[in-house]
Amino acid sequence: MLLAKLREAWICLKAGRVTLPYPFAPHDPAEGFRGKITLDPDLCFGCGGCANVCPAGVIVVKDTDQHTRLLEFFWRRCTYCGRCEEVCPEDAITLSQQFETATNAPEDMFMRLEVFMGPCQRCGRCFTPPTPLERMMRTGFRDGNGGRA
Amino acid sequence: MTITQAAATRTVDLVRERVGAGLVAATQPHADTLRLQVDKRSVRAAAGTLADELGARFMITTGIDRRELDGGFGIVHLFSLDREHLFVLLDCAVAADDEHIDSITPVVPGANWAEREFRDSVGVHPEGHPDPRRLLLADDWPDGVWPLRRDVPYNLQPPPAEGMRPPLREPPAGASVVTMGPFFPVLEEPSQWRLFVEGETIVGCDYRGFYNHRGIEKLGEAVLTYNEIPYLAERICGICGFIHSTCYCQAVEKAAGIEVPRRARFIRTIMLEMERVHSHLLWLGIAGHIVGFDTVLMQTWRIREPLMWLSEEISGNRKTYGMNTIGGLRRDIPPDLASKTLNVLAEVERESLAVRDAIVGDGTLMARTKDVGVLTNQTARSVCVVGPPARASGVPIDARVDHPYAAYDEVAVRIAVHQEGDTWARVLVRVEELLESIRLIREALAAMPEGPVLAEIRDEIPPGRVGVSVVEAPRGEAVHMVETGGDNRPYRWRVRAPTYPNLQAMPAMITGAAIADVPITLGSLDPCFSCTERVEAVDVASGCVRVYSRADLLRISRGAGAKP
Ligand code: SF4
Ligand code: SF4
Repeated sequence: MLLAKLREAWICLKAGRVTLPYPFAPHDPAEGFRGKITLDPDLCFGCGGCANVCPAGVIVVKDTDQHTRLLEFFWRRCTYCGRCEEVCPEDAITLSQQFETATNAPEDMFMRLEVFMGPCQRCGRCFTPPTPLERMMRTGFRDGNGGRA
Repeated sequence: MTITQAAATRTVDLVRERVGAGLVAATQPHADTLRLQVDKRSVRAAAGTLADELGARFMITTGIDRRELDGGFGIVHLFSLDREHLFVLLDCAVAADDEHIDSITPVVPGANWAEREFRDSVGVHPEGHPDPRRLLLADDWPDGVWPLRRDVPYNLQPPPAEGMRPPLREPPAGASVVTMGPFFPVLEEPSQWRLFVEGETIVGCDYRGFYNHRGIEKLGEAVLTYNEIPYLAERICGICGFIHSTCYCQAVEKAAGIEVPRRARFIRTIMLEMERVHSHLLWLGIAGHIVGFDTVLMQTWRIREPLMWLSEEISGNRKTYGMNTIGGLRRDIPPDLASKTLNVLAEVERESLAVRDAIVGDGTLMARTKDVGVLTNQTARSVCVVGPPARASGVPIDARVDHPYAAYDEVAVRIAVHQEGDTWARVLVRVEELLESIRLIREALAAMPEGPVLAEIRDEIPPGRVGVSVVEAPRGEAVHMVETGGDNRPYRWRVRAPTYPNLQAMPAMITGAAIADVPITLGSLDPCFSCTERVEAVDVASGCVRVYSRADLLRISRGAGAKP
């Protein structure tokens, strides 16, 4: 019994101090960590693949007029799964190392991107390029319901 | 002929002998799955035959709204013949204009909750159920709105109904009631136990739960698609997320006949065992915490932490790995991380052994847990308890052995079984499993083949197929059943977490015990309700809903006497 108590004391003493100094010192996550989504607006061409696979319904796609496709990211609901990054054919989306996303203002967690699209001469709708994208798309996008909030 | 095939033939023959024409059809959709379509009037006899004569273990019941397919409901009781590695589905059709079926709880006590649940969710009434109170729905959910019927939208918010609160059970004469919960100090999750006591001794109890019902199955069937569900499944449980996503993926893969690459099966095994190691360390700490031995909590959680960091490196997140997808995995384990895993495990093993020796020699934990919360072998079997509580009561069941999945057919598991059935036995079983898991990870890493980790899926998943899959979670066996549908999503997705059967054993475990033993007894089941971090308060008088922000909560809790 006493021996066991001594053993316990030894386990605790040997471990020493294990608490990390975070947040007073930075604590970088490991490589490959899935943090806040970032979007490169120059690369995105509005295919909508990301919106089709996002399990949390974060990404909403709308065609606002004949030339413009609007992508809205209500990423306060983001689960950081990285599916959008995985399917984006242009690598426009990446999951960054950033994890300090807490905020008192939910509207901070919103991104909006307008993509200029080439409308089809015949039907007037935004132009949908063939293959690899066709594989990703279901017919029609979900209704834009504000990220199903 | 394999054991499984022989068992299937015997089962069909015996059930046909007992219920005659009540057995409508018998099919075998997969080698390990037997589907018996039974007339609903014969269901009790068929279930009794399976449980009593064949020794089948009841797992779960699924209520399916099949009105758009064949004009009725389906009630599917799922049984397992563990030794014979066979799942048996008792599938009964219930006509839409006669929503009644015989209850099987009188012959299979473990079906109690499952039957109340299908009544609550699809509105088929189990006739002759001994305790037909509402189980799953909220106290103000109106009668006659059955949330898992397919014509009920997933986001329906019916106006609150009056007087739907299920009646509380009366205490026996002379006993008083001590209420524990819904919120109580030891477990950070809500469940309410009304203990009936005579003096300090418990003579009975009543349970109310499902405070955190989140409608996950409905979301899976109504909103998400096949490949989106793994991320929802992962959030069923905060500790064994990978287990649920694996279990779901396996069920779909089985239903659709998708062959998962061998390397992916090995990596799934490794990650599943990693979850067991960190979950058992976490549990050991909580057990110490419940009995007031916080040194154990601090030290086991310290030992556990490097594993969490390792998971983050492998998967990109310390929990909710997001690795599973239909057909395999999204991330591979590169060689440098494989060797790092071995180093981390060596350290965890060394430290766990030190802690084990210390707490076994110390006697504090043992004094507090020996002969506490005894679960007899007989109760464990009749309530169909799973996982460490079953194995600590001498029931040698383990999904990894009984229904091998992932790579468990290649890495053999040695299961830990104790006979005493008390809380101390459950501690010992978990400590042994922890060490065994470390051994399994090493073995799997050594035997892991090279190759792809994701099967390419070209064809659509055909509708109308069924897949049953089990995974041995740290808390016991998790079961997922999927019936595939059109529209790129399951027609029905059923989840049963291990705490579901285990909690039903609580009344038997605490009867005759002292009140002070209830927390550790409950804790020894390693229960997993679910948790939510946001408070939503309903003002009963006005019915208005108000969501408190963090600032509000701080103000209320800090301001002495401040009213919300
Ligand atoms: S990381 Fe996942 S949840 Fe977040 S936006 Fe991308 S797909 Fe959606
Ligand atoms: S998948 Fe990539 S290119 Fe397509 S819409 Fe999304 S971000 Fe843009």
